[in-house]
Amino acid sequence: MINHHRAGHLLSSYLDGELLPEEATAVQGHLLECAACRAAFERIRATKGLLGELPVAEPPVEFWSTVREPGPGRPPAARLPWPGSIPRRRVAWGAAAALAVGLVLALTPVIKGTVDRLHAAEIGVDLYVREHAFGMSIEPLADRGFLGVVVGDADLVLAGEPSRAGGSPP
Amino acid sequence: MALMAQPGTVRAGPYTPEEVAWYETIVHRYARHVYNIAYRMVGNEADARDLSQEAFLRVYRVLRRVEPGIPLESWLHRIVSNLYIDLLRRRPRVRVESLDVPLPTPRGEVLREFPDLTFSPEAVLEKERLDRAIQGALGALSADLRLAVVLSDVEGFSYEEIATILRVPLGTVKSRLHRARQILQQRLRPYVEARRRGWGE
Repeated sequence: MINHHRAGHLLSSYLDGELLPEEATAVQGHLLECAACRAAFERIRATKGLLGELPVAEPPVEFWSTVREPGPGRPPAARLPWPGSIPRRRVAWGAAAALAVGLVLALTPVIKGTVDRLHAAEIGVDLYVREHAFGMSIEPLADRGFLGVVVGDADLVLAGEPSRAGGSPP
Repeated sequence: MALMAQPGTVRAGPYTPEEVAWYETIVHRYARHVYNIAYRMVGNEADARDLSQEAFLRVYRVLRRVEPGIPLESWLHRIVSNLYIDLLRRRPRVRVESLDVPLPTPRGEVLREFPDLTFSPEAVLEKERLDRAIQGALGALSADLRLAVVLSDVEGFSYEEIATILRVPLGTVKSRLHRARQILQQRLRPYVEARRRGWGE
């Protein structure tokens, strides 16, 4: 058996058929004996009944149009936000062209630099000295001048000058 | 069906006709329920429309991630319940306040008094007035209690389903429903008594 207070708390679940079988049997037994709980149970049942008889709220017409067509105003996240009027094919070609131009611009200095270095190696140290001799005379301690001195000590011949003493005769 | 996509394998691009048709099936099957719950929660057409439209927009956005097998109903109702709670948070001025809780004043707590709802029997039977009274009583409940009682008594969900939708333990559903019905029956006493009399008491 259950007491009056406990039964009162279980009435709502009893009404909904949501009690365990043994609890339901106990509440049923109590209801047979207790007029107050019977009245309380009927009030709960009436309350539930009132709510159940509420008419189904009918959505307005514009609700249906918006819900059925959620696309136009607000595209789904999966869809990429393409600008409305430009055809996709044209956009793709544009992107490819932009990529090609970008590649050319990025690679030109690299290729040019490599060619220059190869070229410089062929001409050799003479070119370096010739180009930097003037700078070396003005600023012998600057990096470029110093290098010139180092290279000059190797007894290299500056362009247009006769070979210095100690070197092999021209 | 081509809708078994898992998260991460979702294709980009517009929906196929089959996917659109599936979405329309969902709308056809659930829109009335969702709108009705929203309406009973908020008590007015404009907010109910906004809430339920937003719920379906969310469904539409993630359509490819929704597996056809999952119970859509609970999921949709959870969306609309969460949207409703969000709506309450966004609108702090619309304070949800239980009319049955004593009102604290400098001279102690007082209980609100309501006009007597005992009209003539004819008026009690007037359906429209009854509906308004019930909607008003629902509006007096806190959001938690209202959600539980709308899902149970208006939409007819089981306790387990409500627990799933609201993500609360079963015991919480039981106690919320118990409290909600206690408050409602006091608010709607004349109608409740009229109904009991109608049963031949």
